Amino acid sequence: MTEGKTTRQILQEKETSDNSVPLYNPAALKKIKEDFDGWLKETVSTADRENWTATPHNILGSELPRELIYSPLSNPGFDYLGRLAFSGQEPYTRGLHPNMYRGRTFTMRQLSGAGAPEYINQRLKMLLEHGATGINLALDVATVQMFDSDEPEALGQVGTVGVPIDFTDDMAVIFKEIPIDKISASIVTHYPRNTAIVFPMYLVMAERRGVPWEKLAGSVQNDFIMENLVRGACEYISPKDSFRIQCDNIEFIRERVPRWNYVTLNGYNLREFGTSGITEMAVGLANGIATIEEMLRRGHDVDFVAARLAFFWSLGSDFFEEVARLRAVRRLWYRIMKHRFGAKNPRSMWMRCHVQTSGGSLTREEPMNNIVRSAYQALAAILGGCQSLHVDSYDEAYSVPSEEGSLVGLRTQQIIEAESQATQVVDPLGGSFYVEKLTNEIEEKILNELDEIEKRGGIVEVVADGWLHKKVAAYIEAQQKQLDEGQIKVVGRNYHRAADPKIPEIAVHHYDEATGQQMRDKLAALRQRRNKSQVIKTLEALKQACRGDGNVFAACVDCARADVTEGEMRRAFTDAMGTWSAPGYM
Amino acid sequence: MTGSKKIRVLLAQFPLETHTKGMITVAGMLRDAGMEVVLLGNALPAVIARAAVQEDVDVVGISSYCGGELVLGEKLLALAREEGIRQEVAFILGGIFPPDNAVGLMKLGFAATFPPSAKAEEIVAGIKKALAAKSAG
Repeated sequence: MTEGKTTRQILQEKETSDNSVPLYNPAALKKIKEDFDGWLKETVSTADRENWTATPHNILGSELPRELIYSPLSNPGFDYLGRLAFSGQEPYTRGLHPNMYRGRTFTMRQLSGAGAPEYINQRLKMLLEHGATGINLALDVATVQMFDSDEPEALGQVGTVGVPIDFTDDMAVIFKEIPIDKISASIVTHYPRNTAIVFPMYLVMAERRGVPWEKLAGSVQNDFIMENLVRGACEYISPKDSFRIQCDNIEFIRERVPRWNYVTLNGYNLREFGTSGITEMAVGLANGIATIEEMLRRGHDVDFVAARLAFFWSLGSDFFEEVARLRAVRRLWYRIMKHRFGAKNPRSMWMRCHVQTSGGSLTREEPMNNIVRSAYQALAAILGGCQSLHVDSYDEAYSVPSEEGSLVGLRTQQIIEAESQATQVVDPLGGSFYVEKLTNEIEEKILNELDEIEKRGGIVEVVADGWLHKKVAAYIEAQQKQLDEGQIKVVGRNYHRAADPKIPEIAVHHYDEATGQQMRDKLAALRQRRNKSQVIKTLEALKQACRGDGNVFAACVDCARADVTEGEMRRAFTDAMGTWSAPGYM
Repeated sequence: MTGSKKIRVLLAQFPLETHTKGMITVAGMLRDAGMEVVLLGNALPAVIARAAVQEDVDVVGISSYCGGELVLGEKLLALAREEGIRQEVAFILGGIFPPDNAVGLMKLGFAATFPPSAKAEEIVAGIKKALAAKSAG
């Protein structure tokens, strides 16, 4: 925190100049108010008057009360230029670019599916052939957790939920014949440690193919909230260490891989774990603020750091809330970057984001209904102005997406883009009395929760002391009660449920046990053939970096060059940094 | 199981499971239903089986989202047999898995499986039914 002040306090101090020009003239407002009062009294029924505000109950919703109808009276001081302006103009409420999707359509980035590296290489090519415009590489659970395929913990888990990567060669197989200098790749390394271990393998793969790092475009997640809070695991390092690695990664990637997005602050998995859309964004912003503060402390310029920072949000089913949330967080991030950090480069003030539709909103019952849910959520993402999108598959509640499910997700995006015409006009809901009011309310609520986190000592502290763990657990419990009691209605599950919900005949993905053996054989061969003294030397250097001030990412690049495996690097981190026992949820 | 004794449930996940929402949700449900819950979290099948003995539980509940439930479930039940608790303890599993794997899990010897949308009352009833079958058998 700057001199111990919270973001809210800093904004209050800096946003003093009032150049606001209210859109509505007082005489008109007065007349509208008179008319409204008369209408309310004479036309609206007593029951409707008494239930003027209704609170929506929704999966992962924020329970923001809604009025029956909105009007200029909802936002009487409405200042168009100050609060909205035009797209590509501060405060970017209406979108980051003047022409938005007319200039460049959103990136259609479907997750790659699960299976062996060779299979995933085929799947990536299939998605690109069908018009996907970016790669979204999901890692298998062993790789996510940083275990080698031949460790006992990895039994039964190799090739589940994504692709296994043990060392640099696996990366070469996955990206074989894929033009990595032209296609942007999101490598879904959730955690800082995972990013430090796996992304160097991508870089070394590029090096071996002769592709300069300057040409690589894409993103990693690199978010310590994911590592220390969202992730279940049998072993953790401390939030403080994770956060340090997050910043080491940013430093190296920013300097050496200039087109790469080195941090994607991941609200998505936190929200899907169990928080409202407000908390999701407050936590994402709090992490962004802490990251920039740390990079300033390390002597970097704000614009050097902030220009490639990106966010990842979950969009659920409360349609207008979701549109308003994207607009609200875009404006709030601009205000923070402009006024708290004094950013000069417009790019630093941009809340660029990838959106994934909400997996938690999908049902096992009548899974085809999920196509409808995901499509509405995807439309909200586009009306909210996201940069990149993944649409969840209808079979999400059964297994990782089948090839068909994945293709329907891509087709949903293409239908929105080419048929709905929703992308023709920038920020089409801007100016709606309702959406503008909701945008204001959400922005204020995110700022309130951010304030609370900062008053508790900041984002690293609220993860370390378990406050956020308990907040999530309380939210999960409350949601479950509302679902059980039917306050939250989910069609086909607890509302209009079929008398005998049959398990549908859909082809779902099955775990292929052969992948595990294949990966174990590959590792056994590697351990025989590689230069052992190089392995020991680079691992020792990594431990040194962990203990001292050296950049851990740089040390991991040397490990990847020496064909050190993922599990070996993980153990080097824990050997040098020690482990952390996570606070309980109860 | 005696009539007045509270049902004791060990809740765990296989070692690399990343999702914990299911386990937290079910822990709350079972406590509300008057059961005692031991929350083990992520652990190797051998550690889960050992903990089941040490904690003297009636039920072991596994939350699984990431797949591999057949391989790991088989391993867990084999270890339970070695620990001598295979017959007296009811093993259940909930989470995300292909529908036909529910059949496979039952064949392995799981007493019940639950999809992600299972309600509290369904899980509680499923546990009681499994325990009744154990004491009858």
